[in-house]
Amino acid sequence: MSPSPAEPQLSACAPWGAAALLAACGGGGSGSQLGSDSAKDGSALLAVALTDEDASRLLAQAAFGATDPHIDRVKALGARAWLDEQFAIPRTEGHYSTMLSQGLAVEANLNGFNGFENTVWRKLIASPDVLRQRMVLALSEIFVVSMQGLPVPWRGFVMAAYVDLLETHAFGNYRQLLEAVTLSPAMGVYLNMRGNRKANAAIGRVPDENYAREVLQLFSVGLVELNLDGSARLDGRGQPQETYSQETITGLARVFTGWDHDRFVRTDPGHAQRPMVVNSANHESAEKRFLGTTVPANTPAAEGLAMALDAIAQHPNVAPFIGRQLIQRLVCSHPSAAYVSRVAAVFNNNGQGVRGDLQAVLRSVLLDPEARSAPADGQNSRGMLREPVVRFVQWARTFGVTSPTGLWNVGNLSDPATRLGQSPFRAPSVFNFFRPGYVPPNSALGEQGITAPEFQITNESTVVGWANFAQSFVASGVAELRPNYSAELALASDAPALVRRVALLLAANALSQDTLALITQAVNSISAATAAGRNNRVYAAVHLVLCAPEYLIQI
Amino acid sequence: MSAPLSQASRRAFMQRAAQLSLAGLASPWALHLLAMSEAAAQSANDYKALVCVFLYGGNDHINSLPPFDAATHAEYLRVRTSMATARDALAATALVPREPLPGGRQLALAPELAPLKSLFDSQQLGVLLNVGTLMRPTTKAQYNAASVPLPPKLFSHNDQQSVWQSSLPEGSISGWGGRLGDLFMASNERASFTCVNVSGNAVYMSGRQAVQYQVSSNGSVPLQGVRQALFGSSVAQNAMLKLVTAPHSHLMRAEYTRVMSRAIEANDTLSAAMAAAPVLNTTFDTSSSLAMQLRMVARLISVRQALGVKRQVFFVSLGGFDLHDFLVAQHPGLLAQLASALRSFHDATTEMGVSQQVTAFTASDFGRTFSSNGDGSDHGWGSHHFVLGGAVAGGRFHGRNPELALNGPDDVGQGRLLPTTAVDQLAATLARWMGVSDSDLPLVAPNIGEYSQRDLGLFRV
Repeated sequence: MSPSPAEPQLSACAPWGAAALLAACGGGGSGSQLGSDSAKDGSALLAVALTDEDASRLLAQAAFGATDPHIDRVKALGARAWLDEQFAIPRTEGHYSTMLSQGLAVEANLNGFNGFENTVWRKLIASPDVLRQRMVLALSEIFVVSMQGLPVPWRGFVMAAYVDLLETHAFGNYRQLLEAVTLSPAMGVYLNMRGNRKANAAIGRVPDENYAREVLQLFSVGLVELNLDGSARLDGRGQPQETYSQETITGLARVFTGWDHDRFVRTDPGHAQRPMVVNSANHESAEKRFLGTTVPANTPAAEGLAMALDAIAQHPNVAPFIGRQLIQRLVCSHPSAAYVSRVAAVFNNNGQGVRGDLQAVLRSVLLDPEARSAPADGQNSRGMLREPVVRFVQWARTFGVTSPTGLWNVGNLSDPATRLGQSPFRAPSVFNFFRPGYVPPNSALGEQGITAPEFQITNESTVVGWANFAQSFVASGVAELRPNYSAELALASDAPALVRRVALLLAANALSQDTLALITQAVNSISAATAAGRNNRVYAAVHLVLCAPEYLIQI
Repeated sequence: MSAPLSQASRRAFMQRAAQLSLAGLASPWALHLLAMSEAAAQSANDYKALVCVFLYGGNDHINSLPPFDAATHAEYLRVRTSMATARDALAATALVPREPLPGGRQLALAPELAPLKSLFDSQQLGVLLNVGTLMRPTTKAQYNAASVPLPPKLFSHNDQQSVWQSSLPEGSISGWGGRLGDLFMASNERASFTCVNVSGNAVYMSGRQAVQYQVSSNGSVPLQGVRQALFGSSVAQNAMLKLVTAPHSHLMRAEYTRVMSRAIEANDTLSAAMAAAPVLNTTFDTSSSLAMQLRMVARLISVRQALGVKRQVFFVSLGGFDLHDFLVAQHPGLLAQLASALRSFHDATTEMGVSQQVTAFTASDFGRTFSSNGDGSDHGWGSHHFVLGGAVAGGRFHGRNPELALNGPDDVGQGRLLPTTAVDQLAATLARWMGVSDSDLPLVAPNIGEYSQRDLGLFRV
């Protein structure tokens, strides 16, 4: 199930030759060749021209890093066709269904998450549909539901059904994704739309405004009017214009009244998979106004909801707002205005008049010249800090980590001082682990106003926590999970080759000559005469790359 | 990044020393300790610490401090129905302030805050009423007419957290805790321990120069790979240190390296100091994240002399307060955790003999609506907060008690309170206690010039 390094000998891996090839075909050329027009031509030249490091870079953005088979496949197909192949890979068994077949739907699990994290790690680390899994993780950090704050029966199954839903729509359409999220029991509980009731004027009770507020602020339009390129659209006085007011929230909150679980029973988690349904008695029947839309009085709840979601999804902010965040999750922290514009334009129209086509948006994000062009000197704010969860999954996938028990007992990696300071589906709030607009204070990044979200969870504890945790899992695995370093061990007595291989797979050859030399020297200092020594050589090579700033910042 | 920081403070010192014609005397550090405190912008011969306890999510101030007088409690019960705490359940925690509230109004602590009751009674704990983000004093008429500037992005969590902490919405890069740190860095021998965060990164703690130093509830984390042979090799160990601290021109790589370098350097100092820390006998609830954070603050304060610090700002936090639902089920537990942690912390400062020198205060995104949605309350604005410490003018309510009434004079919608005291005023008051001069207050609280009252009288004179 899990991809593992197939051959100890890396036939395709010829880093120095690859570097020469890059010099020949790279630079500005590779970007324009991969632009949508030429790529539509299906240029065969393009496919063969991809180097190992080109492939590794794409895999860092679109998957969870590189393996030998993936590098070979990307090189064989080219970037665009590889994406198409990924879009077509069938889904593996869902999380909900897996937990059900594991016999977890028993009373003892009614108020716990037993088994949920296991199946999440299983798919992140071992599911063959890597692009879908990467997109699911990205979506989980935009449409956030967290295990911290889900006080509902069958919460593990509710979460599992939510992740399945993100999988279902990962390559679908934004409008359908928005509706599925809105009516999911997970989001219903997390942001309190479930059980939300119409006003009672006699006692001053009013509808809950949480979902109305956050669906606008976080899942669709954001706080201020945007241009197509993601910049704030200013009014005549040069001021940003807020997208909505308290009145908008009050109006929209009425739309989100009356919804509740579909046939909740205590003995069965089935409701977790079913969209919420309306109880008309609790739905506000009065007129509702928001975002220039009016839902007339006595409109049926489902119809009013559809009108509201249409109004939200049609807002011109959605394309740059969601597009920029997807770029940030996959490619770089501070995309150029032109890059955001190109992605937003595809969001608005996939070329066939369809708005919100997430496959087209992903192609646009990943095939953009800014994503595909080789790094050039002087681009000193390009790229992104790899988020800790992605680093960990990358290590696991690159080195074919398996779970001998099939339990994938990775557990909660949230501890900042001893683990990752981040764990899937455990964001501290709906505002995710970090914010798309985060600018690191007291830094050159801050002085230049460069957004770098992942730095929000970067501090003295987490940088050391990562290095210490990596030192442990590189050598010993995590819980019952173990890496397979057979391909690396085959190179153990050739330190330069070993380090080059690890640098290609993990860092797409982004390590400088000095850094390669430093790590090679460290590896060479360990005797290769014994099995233990050869293991230590591999551990040192992998660990030092994982701690190198040139790896941690993916460019 | 303690190295550039201490360079900055050395530069500041040298400039001031030159101005005072002291430059030729002794070593800079001896000078610093013996003479410079008078020359520093904010002199600090003694020790003072400020501890911000941030309640993420927007604390429901109404259920934290419910009305106790019969008339107001009846209205509270009418509006909040099943979410209201019964009056008889509040009898044991009803507060009797040194000066009663006008109009016969009375407030009680939530029953779960009972551990704080005796601190109020012994005048160590004060309550600041209806404090919130403002740009300038604002009346309800001005709010309704939008005739004065209002804080940006009211009722939005992340932005109001940021405005509370920094006076600007999300994306802001300095907060008033950090700006206090800017003024006192030069007083601290080791400037990197001026602003210490035991929670996660918060803009509150970043100054224009002061950098927040993050430490876990268990202390600083040593980087294993540089402490002993790495995978059996001392060459690899040395390579590790060089790898993670070498300079980079790429800004993100440089920033990551800067944090790592600071972590390594600070850990060397801190772990040595902590190894010699006095035993702390006060017990903290080890199952509570907030209590563990505050215990670490107490332990850090206990090594203040070893760290050579005179003024410190700390940040701790507790999340989970955004109770649109489950208010009755979950809020009491959060308050109990808050009360226990604050109580232990105050007891620890007393044990260490520094209770007069340490002030803790609560803060939160915003208060909440008076109106109920049946199971919780919504995002509000003004809120009530606690100020705790031996120097506090405790046993009192500070600020103005708002009307608890839907569509009342303080309500801007669903019982959201228009603040009558500004965060800038709170910041300025705390800054003055720390020793900031009146002329420097705007450096900490940029809008303080809008207010005639710059000191809320939160401290004993």
